Amino acid sequence: MPATPLNRIFYAEDDEDIQRIVRMSLERIGKMTVKIESDPLQAIAGIKDFKPDLVMLDWMMPGMDGPTLLKTMRAQPETASYPVVFITARATQQDHAELTALGAAGIVSKPFSPKDLPDQLRAIWAGLP
Amino acid sequence: MAASPKIISADSGKLDRTDSGRDRADRARVLADQVELLYRQAPLGIAVTLVIGSILAFELYSSAKIGELVLFWALLMVVVSFARFFLVLAYRHAQNRDTAPDVWLRRFAIGALAAGVTWGFAGAVFFPGHTDEQQVFLAFVLAGMSAGGLPLFSPVWWVYALYAAGVMLPFEVVLLTFGSRLFTELSFMIPIFFAINVSVAYRLNQVFISAYRLRVSYGRLTEDYTELNQRLERQLIELEEVRRQVEASGRKLALFAERAPIAVLELDGEGRIQEVNREAENLFGYPAGELVDQGASIKILVRPDRHAEFDKGWQELLKSGESVAGLKMSNPRRDGIEVVCEWNVTPLVSPDGNLISIIAQGRDITQQLEADRLKQEFTSTLSHELRTPLTSIIGSLQLVNAGVLGDLNPDQAELTEVAERNAQRLLDLINDILDVEKIESGKLTLFSEPMPMDELVSESIKLNQGFADRYKVKLETSGVQSDIVVNADRKRLLQVMTNLISNAAKFSPSGGSVEIEMRRKDGMVTVSVGDRGTGIPDNFRNRIFNRFAQADSADTRAKGGTGLGLAICKRLIELMDGTIGFDNREGGGTIFWFQLPVHPAG
Repeated sequence: MPATPLNRIFYAEDDEDIQRIVRMSLERIGKMTVKIESDPLQAIAGIKDFKPDLVMLDWMMPGMDGPTLLKTMRAQPETASYPVVFITARATQQDHAELTALGAAGIVSKPFSPKDLPDQLRAIWAGLP
Repeated sequence: MAASPKIISADSGKLDRTDSGRDRADRARVLADQVELLYRQAPLGIAVTLVIGSILAFELYSSAKIGELVLFWALLMVVVSFARFFLVLAYRHAQNRDTAPDVWLRRFAIGALAAGVTWGFAGAVFFPGHTDEQQVFLAFVLAGMSAGGLPLFSPVWWVYALYAAGVMLPFEVVLLTFGSRLFTELSFMIPIFFAINVSVAYRLNQVFISAYRLRVSYGRLTEDYTELNQRLERQLIELEEVRRQVEASGRKLALFAERAPIAVLELDGEGRIQEVNREAENLFGYPAGELVDQGASIKILVRPDRHAEFDKGWQELLKSGESVAGLKMSNPRRDGIEVVCEWNVTPLVSPDGNLISIIAQGRDITQQLEADRLKQEFTSTLSHELRTPLTSIIGSLQLVNAGVLGDLNPDQAELTEVAERNAQRLLDLINDILDVEKIESGKLTLFSEPMPMDELVSESIKLNQGFADRYKVKLETSGVQSDIVVNADRKRLLQVMTNLISNAAKFSPSGGSVEIEMRRKDGMVTVSVGDRGTGIPDNFRNRIFNRFAQADSADTRAKGGTGLGLAICKRLIELMDGTIGFDNREGGGTIFWFQLPVHPAG
């Protein structure tokens, strides 16, 4: 379990409505600091700049999908070690196994509950080494 | 004479009879015919005997020294004649003339011998004591009688021999002992006459037998011919019947193939098209003439880039001689457009292992595949495109209802709560429909793993606590053991639990409790969820696991639900090798339960 509480979240998501809901959930209920990026191709730069505690990725995004983005992160030393949580509508166990194999720290299924989202992320955070 | 039976034998072989049996039957029949002829001619002989005998008796009596002896002879002759006459009558009325001809022949022979001896007696007794003229007369009579017997008795030569011996032997003895040179010379001649007569009788006898055998043979041939004819006629009738049946079934088959909504092609071992039905013409756009008359190969319907693969499959088909079913293939039509067909290919092999032909039946599944693809596309659209906006709707409402934007007034709160609940219901419905679709298309795959049952229960209680709170129902557990593990799909089993618990909560009276109980018995674990609701109406019990089953429609609005939940649960539990059911609960309410095999590791 990391020594510091979970605070800074970077989220790559192209759907603006979901962006708003997640922001509101994490900022108002979770009292966290949130940075959201709509363009996955800008995400790496955003992460380097924002230096979050945890990165949240959507699976399906135009330009680059979540798993590819994760692989790109892992390929660069500056972004390689960030814990990554996927938030996705793809719900089969096969999908989940694929993400775990890529090194995802956790998965949140869409539709998610904004009320519970901060707690879900904190539970994943607590499970990290 | 022996030739005729041989001919019959040759024929009779074909008619499944044994030669020896048939020869025996023929001989018996010829003998019966001989005997019959003897008896038929006998009355004439008897009549002649009586007439000649009477003349002789009259002549001798007038000059006899011992008249009584002549009377006695005449009496003897009459008695013998009548005896023979009665024998003839008896024969005519006998039933066993044909079956026992030998018996009747013996009787006849005795009669003939008696007649002969009577004449011989006359010669022996009357010859010595009479005048020369009378002796000449007597000798003439006796010669006449022995000669006259020839045609009458010769059908069986030895009967004549017996008769003639009876006539001549006593006379011979008398001539030998009489002493005069003339008579002695005469006595030397009599055996010669006898021998000549008997040999003539023998020859007549043989001629007679030949004639009769020919007659019998002819009869047999006619019989055989008739029988053969009848048999041929029967076989012809049978053949005609079989031909009619074959023709009828051929017509039926042709009709099946011709009118069938599938393409049927008959091919030879080289894949040349022998025959096609109408649907094959329609489907591939080739007129039958173009395919059949020009000896086109079936490969005309195979994409050129698949020819090598096709040849390999064809060789395997010929080698195994076994039919292939469900072969999906893209087939170019005459106009170049490809249709996807599902083929059943059946080699027809004769009992001795030779290939007769190959029947290929193809069904156009192009549209079906397109429909399947559209359905899948629709399903995934439903899955992703509907869920995304719902995620936003439900998320927004949840945030509002959680008071993130500050407290709402009671009316606002009530309406946003209604909106959230119904959005959630819409999402549940979409998920359930997707599940049903997956189950029905056989695309639902389970990811089974060992799963501790106590974890399942605690997790499902956590998941449904909010729901229970809303209905003001307590969730209680009993009998939960930590060491029971099942092999199950975690997510799907939780789905089942959620379904049962939420149902129980919905139908429980406010302030009541839902009891979740776990029991282990005989390698099975049973989880039951009990409520104190109103129970399940009798008329609903047998369709409760059907899709869109709801006890009554008014209930749906009051309690919410898609009516798919239990149908999905049943299928999921069955896929996990379990059973699901429900019972009435003592003291009111219902218990739903499912049973799963305990994982051996647990």
